[in-house]
Amino acid sequence: MQAIGFILVGLFLPLFPLSILFNTVLRRVDHALLRSALLLTWPQIGVLALSLFADEPPTWLLIWALATSVLYAFRLLAMREVGRWTGFLATSAWAALWLPASAGVDPVQLVLYAAAFSIPLIILTLLARTLEVRFGAAYVGLYGGLAIGTPRLAGVTVITVLAATATPLAPSFFAMLNALAVATPISAVMLAAAWLMWSWAAIRLIQGLIVGAPQPGPSQDLNTAATWGYSIGLVGLVLAGLILMGNNL
Amino acid sequence: MISQLVLALVALPLLSALLIQLLSGTMGRRVARISVIGGTISFLVALVLLIALLSGEDVSRIAVSGPWGSLLFDPLSILMGLLITGISLLVRIYSVRYMAEESGYGRYFLLLDLMTAALLVMVAAGDLITLLIAWHLIGVLLYFLLGHDTRSRSAYRYGFWTFITYRFGDLPLLLAAVALYQAFGTWSLPGIFDALAANPDATSFFGMRVAELVAALIALSAFARSAQFLLHTWLPYTMDGPTPVSALMHAGIVNAGGFLINRFAPVFAYTEYTLHWVFIVGLCTAVIGSVLMLSQHDIKKSLGYSTMGQMGFMIMECGVGAFSLAIFHLIAHGLFKGTLFLSAGGIIGQARRDDGVPKDDLYTFVVERRPARNRQPWLLMAAITLAVPVVVLLLSHLAVAPNLFQKQGAIVLLFFGWVTGAQLLFATYNMRSQNPWRLVALIVFSFTVVVIGYTLISHAFDVFLYPDPEFGDLLYKAGAIDFTWFVILVILATAVIVLGWLRAYYLDRNRRGQWSAPGPWWRNFYALVWREFHVIEIYSALTRRLLAASARINVWLRWG
Repeated sequence: MQAIGFILVGLFLPLFPLSILFNTVLRRVDHALLRSALLLTWPQIGVLALSLFADEPPTWLLIWALATSVLYAFRLLAMREVGRWTGFLATSAWAALWLPASAGVDPVQLVLYAAAFSIPLIILTLLARTLEVRFGAAYVGLYGGLAIGTPRLAGVTVITVLAATATPLAPSFFAMLNALAVATPISAVMLAAAWLMWSWAAIRLIQGLIVGAPQPGPSQDLNTAATWGYSIGLVGLVLAGLILMGNNL
Repeated sequence: MISQLVLALVALPLLSALLIQLLSGTMGRRVARISVIGGTISFLVALVLLIALLSGEDVSRIAVSGPWGSLLFDPLSILMGLLITGISLLVRIYSVRYMAEESGYGRYFLLLDLMTAALLVMVAAGDLITLLIAWHLIGVLLYFLLGHDTRSRSAYRYGFWTFITYRFGDLPLLLAAVALYQAFGTWSLPGIFDALAANPDATSFFGMRVAELVAALIALSAFARSAQFLLHTWLPYTMDGPTPVSALMHAGIVNAGGFLINRFAPVFAYTEYTLHWVFIVGLCTAVIGSVLMLSQHDIKKSLGYSTMGQMGFMIMECGVGAFSLAIFHLIAHGLFKGTLFLSAGGIIGQARRDDGVPKDDLYTFVVERRPARNRQPWLLMAAITLAVPVVVLLLSHLAVAPNLFQKQGAIVLLFFGWVTGAQLLFATYNMRSQNPWRLVALIVFSFTVVVIGYTLISHAFDVFLYPDPEFGDLLYKAGAIDFTWFVILVILATAVIVLGWLRAYYLDRNRRGQWSAPGPWWRNFYALVWREFHVIEIYSALTRRLLAASARINVWLRWG
C-alpha cells in the first residue's frame, strides 16, 4: 500500500521516469489557460497524496527525487522551446519538494512551496502564448532583440524567469532556503547544483530572447493594462512570499 | 536615531530606484538628478554614521522584522558603506554625461541605484538570509548592468561569465549558511559568532569542525567574487559594459571577497588550516595576475589582470591574518582603480592631442629602455638596495606594533614590502641620471613616506575594525604555521629572490648593448602566458560539452 502511495506521489511530485507523464501531458495541452491550471494543480495533488497515502519517504527515494531534480535542471540547459522549458523547470522544482516533505515540514507550507514554483511558471506560460501570437513561436534564439523591439514584454519576461528560478526575493527563493535548512550534506549539494543550473538556463533563455537587434518591421508590445497586470501580479507574488514564507525560516 | 539612519542608508537608493521607475516617463533624462541627489544624501548619512561610531556610539544590530532583515551598525559595515556610497556617487555623477547618448538612460540609473542598495545591504547584513539575498542579487544586477547595451551580444556573453562565476560562488556561501544554521539554530550573525566563541570546537557534518568547514566554504565564495585564479576569467573580459560600470566593478564589487572574509573573521579566528590555503590561493593569484597583466597587449585586459593581482594580494593578506590590512588595501585599490577607469577616457582624448610625457630620466629608462652609461659601484648599490627597505619597514612598523616579530603574518607582509622596495631601488641602478645620488635619495624618501603612511593608516584601521588586541592575535595565530617551517620558507624565498637579482645583474652586465633571442623554453612560456594559460579555452570547451550532453539527453528522452 505504501509503495502505491509513493508511486502516486511520484507521479505528481515527479520522479523520473514517472515525470514523463507530466511532461507529455503538458506538451499535448495547447491552451494556455489549461496549461496554467495543470501547472497549478499538479504538484498540489502530489502534496495532498503525500499527506494522505505516504509516510516519511526513505533516504533512497529522497536521493532519487533530487537526482530527478538535477536531471531536469541539466536538460533545461539545452531546451529552447519555452513551453517545454517551463515543464522541465516545473519537474525539477517539484521533485525537490521531496526534501522538505521528508523532513516533516508542515503540509500547509508544502502547499505554499509548490505554489511558489507554479505561479511564476503560469505567468511564463501566458507570456509564452503572447510570444507565439506575436512571433509565431516561443523559441529561444529564433528572433531575439525583444529589449529594443518590445521592451515591456522583455522586462516582464526577464522578471518572471528570474522569479521562476528562485532569485531573491521571489517566494521560490524562500522555498529553496527552507528546503536547504533541513537538508543533509549530500542533498544540499544536489539541490544547490540544480539551483545553479536553473540560473544558467534562465540566463540562456533571457539572452536568447532579449539580446540582439530587433526584428524588422513593427512589433506589438504589451499594452499598458497588461503590463500593469503582470507587474502587480509579480509584486503581489513577492509580497505574499515575504509574508507567508519569509517569516517561517 | 542611529537605527533610523542605518535604515535610511539602505532605503535611500531603493527609494531613488522606485522614483526613477515611476517618473522616468515624465521626467525623461532628468531622472538622473534623482539618482545623484539620492546618492549624495546616502553618502552624507554614511559619513554621519562613521562620525557617530568614531565618537563612541555603541555597535548594534537593528532587526526590522522576523528572523531576517536585520542590519548591523559596526565599524566594518559603516566603513564599507562610506566607500560604497562614495564610489557610487562618483560613478553616478560621471554617468550623467557619459551615458547621455545611450538608450535606456533611466534603466541604467535604476539598476545603478538597485546595485548600490544591494551592496549596502550586503555590507550591513546582520543575518545570514539578508546576506544571502544581497549576495545573490549583486550577481544578477551586475549581469544586467554589464549588458546595458542590449544589442551587444559580446557584452552579454561576457556578462554571462560574470553571472555564472558569481552564482558558483553563491553556493558555498549558501552551504555555509545552512551548516551554521544547523549547528547553532539561528540565522543571526552576532548570535552565531557568540555561540561559536563559546564552543569553538563544535562539530558538524561527518564530525568536521564547524569553524573549519564554514571558513573553507566562505573562502571559496570569496574567491569567486574576488577573481582568484581559476575563478578569474570573468574579470578581464567584462570590459564591454559601460565604463562607469567597469569602474564600479573594479573599485567596489570585486572587493566583496575581502569584505566577506572580514565579516566572518570570528569564524576564521578558530580555524587551523583554512587561512593557509587562503594564503596560497591569494599568492598564486597575485603572481599569476601580475604576470598576465604584463603579457597582455590589450590595455583593458591588462587592467583587468591588474585588478586580479591586487585581489590576490588582498586575499593573501587575509591568509596571513592581517584582516584589517585587507580592508585598507581594498579601499586604497578601489579609489585608485576607480580613478583610473573614470579618467581613462579624458586621458586618452588628451593624449591624442599631446602625450605630455616629459623626456626625462624615467621616460628614457622605462619607455625607451635606455640604461645608464655610467653606473655607481655595484656592491654599494646592492647594499643600499637590500638594507634601506628593511630599515625603513622595520622602524616604521615597530613604532606602531612592538610585538611585531610575534606575528608571522606581519613578517610575511614586511617581506613583500622589502621585495618591492628593493626592486624599486634595484631599478634605479640602471637608470640614466645626471645626479644618481639625488635620484636614489628621492626614491628612498618617497618609499619612506609611502611606508610610514601605509603603516600608520593600516594601524589605525586595525584599531578601528578590531579594537580587541586578543582577537587580532587570534587571527594572526590562525594564519601562522610551525615556526621552524616558517623560518625555512622565509630563508628559502629570500635566497631565491636575491639569487634572481644577482642573475639579472650578471646577465645584464655581460650582455650589455647586445640583444640575444630568447630560447625555446622562454618562448613557450611566453606563449602560454599570452594565451592566459588556456583557462578560457578549457572552460569554453567544457561548457560546449555540457550543453551538447544536455541536448543529447533531450533527444534520447524526447517524449518527456
